[in-house]
Amino acid sequence: MDRALTQNPQAPTEKARWHSWIKQYPAAPIIVVLLVAFSTLSPYFLTAGNIESVLIANSVIMLGAIGMTMVFLTGGIDLSISTVISASAVIAGIVMAQTDSISLGIATALATGLAFGALNGFLIGYCKLNPFITTMGTQLVARGIAFLLSQGIAVKGTPFGLMDFSFAVVLGLPAVSIITLVITMLFIVLLGYTSWGREVLLLGSNRSAARYSGINTARTELSVYLLAGGLAGIAGLISIINLGNAIPGVGDTLLLIIIGGVVLGGTSMTGGEGSVMRTVLGVAILAILTSGLNLLGIPFYDQLIIQGVLIFVGNGLAQHLSRRR
Amino acid sequence: MFTKQPIASLSVLGLAKAFSGKTVVKDVSFSLYPGEIVALVGENGAGKSTTKNMLCGLLPPSEGEIQVAGQTVTVVDGKQHGIGAVHQELSLFSSLSVAQNICISDLPGKPGRIDWPACRQIAEQQLAQLGVDVDVNQRVENLGAGKQQIVEIAKALLHASKVLILDEPTTSLTAPERERLFTLMRRLKKQGVAIIFISHFMDEIYQMSDKFICLRDGRQVGSGNIADTPRRELEEMMVGRTLDEAKVTLTPPSTELAVQVERLSSHYFHDISFSIRRGEVLGIAGLMGAGRTEVAETLFGLRPFEGRLLVDGEQMIKPNVRQMKQRGVCYLTEDRRRNGLFGVRSVKENLSAAKLSRFVQRRVKGMGFRGEASQAQEWVEQLNISVPSIDEAVSSLSGGNQQKVLLGRWLATLPRVCILDEPTKGVDIGAKFEIHKKIAALAASGVAVLLVSSDLPELLDLSHRILVMRTGHIVGEFAREDFDAVEIISLAASSAFEKQRA
Repeated sequence: MDRALTQNPQAPTEKARWHSWIKQYPAAPIIVVLLVAFSTLSPYFLTAGNIESVLIANSVIMLGAIGMTMVFLTGGIDLSISTVISASAVIAGIVMAQTDSISLGIATALATGLAFGALNGFLIGYCKLNPFITTMGTQLVARGIAFLLSQGIAVKGTPFGLMDFSFAVVLGLPAVSIITLVITMLFIVLLGYTSWGREVLLLGSNRSAARYSGINTARTELSVYLLAGGLAGIAGLISIINLGNAIPGVGDTLLLIIIGGVVLGGTSMTGGEGSVMRTVLGVAILAILTSGLNLLGIPFYDQLIIQGVLIFVGNGLAQHLSRRR
Repeated sequence: MFTKQPIASLSVLGLAKAFSGKTVVKDVSFSLYPGEIVALVGENGAGKSTTKNMLCGLLPPSEGEIQVAGQTVTVVDGKQHGIGAVHQELSLFSSLSVAQNICISDLPGKPGRIDWPACRQIAEQQLAQLGVDVDVNQRVENLGAGKQQIVEIAKALLHASKVLILDEPTTSLTAPERERLFTLMRRLKKQGVAIIFISHFMDEIYQMSDKFICLRDGRQVGSGNIADTPRRELEEMMVGRTLDEAKVTLTPPSTELAVQVERLSSHYFHDISFSIRRGEVLGIAGLMGAGRTEVAETLFGLRPFEGRLLVDGEQMIKPNVRQMKQRGVCYLTEDRRRNGLFGVRSVKENLSAAKLSRFVQRRVKGMGFRGEASQAQEWVEQLNISVPSIDEAVSSLSGGNQQKVLLGRWLATLPRVCILDEPTKGVDIGAKFEIHKKIAALAASGVAVLLVSSDLPELLDLSHRILVMRTGHIVGEFAREDFDAVEIISLAASSAFEKQRA
C-alpha cells in the first residue's frame, strides 16, 4: 500500500508549516494589518497609555469570551454570560457595601457565577435541554435579578481597597490585566493540555461518538457551563474594579462582542474546533478596531458601520486563508 | 429488444480530476453502450466516487472529454442528458415526503403553484415500476434504511433514461430487496439503459455486470469483460498485489468463560442467552433490524436491560460504558460516522480517544500529551493505515482507513472482550483481509470476540460458532463443523417473510 505515505509524517515544508499555522490562527494576519494601519495613522496608538487602557477595557470581555469559547467547543452556546456578569457584579457590590469585606465580595461574585453556570450545566448536560433556550432563560433571570436588587441604579459603597486596586500595577501592567492574563493562560493549559480539555473537544466534535468512547458527556458539559459561569462571576467583579461601582446593566451589551470575538478568532460554533488562543486573537481584533477608530476621532455611528464591514471582510479573509491548502 | 447501437451512451477520454493541484483521478477512459452493465471497481479511496461525481455532473472534470450520445459536453447535466445517480450516502430530504423527494429536481406544475397530485402520481408510478409498496405521502425519515434506498433509486430513475449510476446500492438492503433491485437492473438493461454499478461485493459484480473498469490510486488499471476475468485476477488488480491465501486460521478457544449472558431482554430483543469463551469468536448472523446491534450495544453498557450479564464471572449491574471498558470490554460500532469518528479531529486524537492514558507518559495526572504522537504513529504503522500525517483530520481518510483507525482505538485499550459490529462494512478487500487477520490474531491471543456481521462469508470464515437472530430472538446456533450458509440465511430471513405475510 502507500508505504511512502505512512512513513515520515513529520518534516513538513516551510510552506506547509506556514499554512497550518494560518489555519490555526486565521485572525493573525488581520491583526497585523490593523496594527500597521492604526500605528501609521495615529501616533498615540502604540503608546503605553493606550495599550494599558485597551487591556483594561477588554478584560471583562476576554473573561466572558474564554467561557464562551469552551461552550462553543462543546457545540453549545451560553447567552447568559453577559447578564451573569451584571448579576454577579450587583450581588457582590451589595454584599461589599453591607460588609465592606473585599474577600466576601470576591467569594460572592464567584459563587453567583458558579450558581448560574451550575444551573445551565445541569439543565443542558443532564436534562438534555437545548442550550440556546436554556441560557436564554437564565439570561433573563440574571438580568432581572441584577435590576431588581439594584433598583436599576449603580450600587454605591464599593470598599476603598477595591478602588485602589484599579490603580495597582504589577510588572508594569495594570493588576486587572495581569489577572486576566493569568486566567487566560490557565484556560489555555486546561483546554489544550489536559485530558479534560481533550474530552471537551471530542464531545463537541461528535457527542454520540464521545458517549460510545466512554466519555461522561453530561458531566463534561456541566463542568464547561460551570466554569463559564465562574468566569462570568470574576468578570463581574472586575467590572466593579474598572468602573468603581457595580452597574446593573454592565455586561448586558457585551454578549455580541463576546460571541464576535470568539468566532472571529476561528472557534467553530458547531463544536470540536477552536482554542482559547484563537479567541485571544479574535477579541484583540475587536479591541484594536475600537481603540484605533476612537483615536482617529471617528464618530460613534460611523464606527459601527466600519466595524460591521471590517468584521465580515475580516471573517471572509480568514475563512479563505484557512481553506487554502 | 434493442440491438447494440454503435453510438455509446456515455464515453469518456482521459478523464482527470485534481483538487487544488492534487490529482485524485487520472487517465480514465471508457465507453458505455446501451444495455450494458459496467462495474466500476477499486478499493476505498481508489477514485470511484470522484469518477462517479464527474459522470453525474456533481464535479467538473479538470481534464479529459465526456461524450454523451456522441456529443461532447463540458459538464454533465443529469436531467438534460438522461443520467441519474444513486449515491452511497443517501441524498434525501428526510423531512419531506416520498413523493416530494422523488420529484424534487423537476416538480410538476408552475413555480409557486406546484401540482402536488401529479407529483404523487409520478412518485407512485416510479415506485410501482420498482415493484415496491411505499406510501408516497410518508415522510422519508419514517422509512427504514432499505426503503429509503428504494426511494433514492426511484428518484434517480426519473431522469436516468440513458445512464444509471448505482454507488453501493445494496449495502442497506435486505436479501429480498436486493433481488428486486437486480431484477429491475435487468429490466432496465433490456430497455437499453446503460448502468454503472459500483459495489464492494464481488458476488454481485459477477452476477450482474458485463464489463468492468478497475481503478487503483486514481488511475484506471484495467478494463475488460467480466466473463473473461477470473475473480481472483480482478481482486488482485484492485489491490495491486498478490493476495495472500484468503483463509484465516482459527485456533481452538479455551474453556474459560469470558462473557455470560442469561435471559437478556429489552424493548428490542427477548430472552437472549449465550456465553463466549476466551479465544472464541462467536458470530451473530441475522437481517438488519433483527436486534443484533442492540444486543451488542447492551453488552457494552450503552442500553438498559433486564436479565444477567456476567464478565469474567462477575455480574454487571446497570453497567455504563466506563465500567465495561474497565472490565476490558470494547465495542466497535457499525455506524462509524455517527457513533465512532470525531470527524474534524486528527487521526492521532481519534486513536487515543478511548484510552488516552495508554498513549501518554505523564508526571501530573491528567496533564500533557507527551508520547501520544509516537504511540499513535505506532498504531498507524501496525494497522497499515494509509494517511499523510497523524495530524490530518480523520474525515479526510477513506472508509477502510477510517475503520482501521476505529479498530486501532479499541485495540489500544488492550481489550479482553471485543464486540465487533460490522467490522468490515464499506471496507475494501485489502483492508478487509487485514482486519480479518487481526480478528483471528485477537482470538488466538485469548480475547473473546463477538462478531456481528451481515457478510455471511465473513462470519463463516472467522467464527467458531454462529448464532442466528431474528426479530429480537436467537433462533439457531451452529457449531463450526455444522456451518451451512443456506440454512443460516433461511433461518435468519424466514420470519421476516412470515411477518410480511401475516
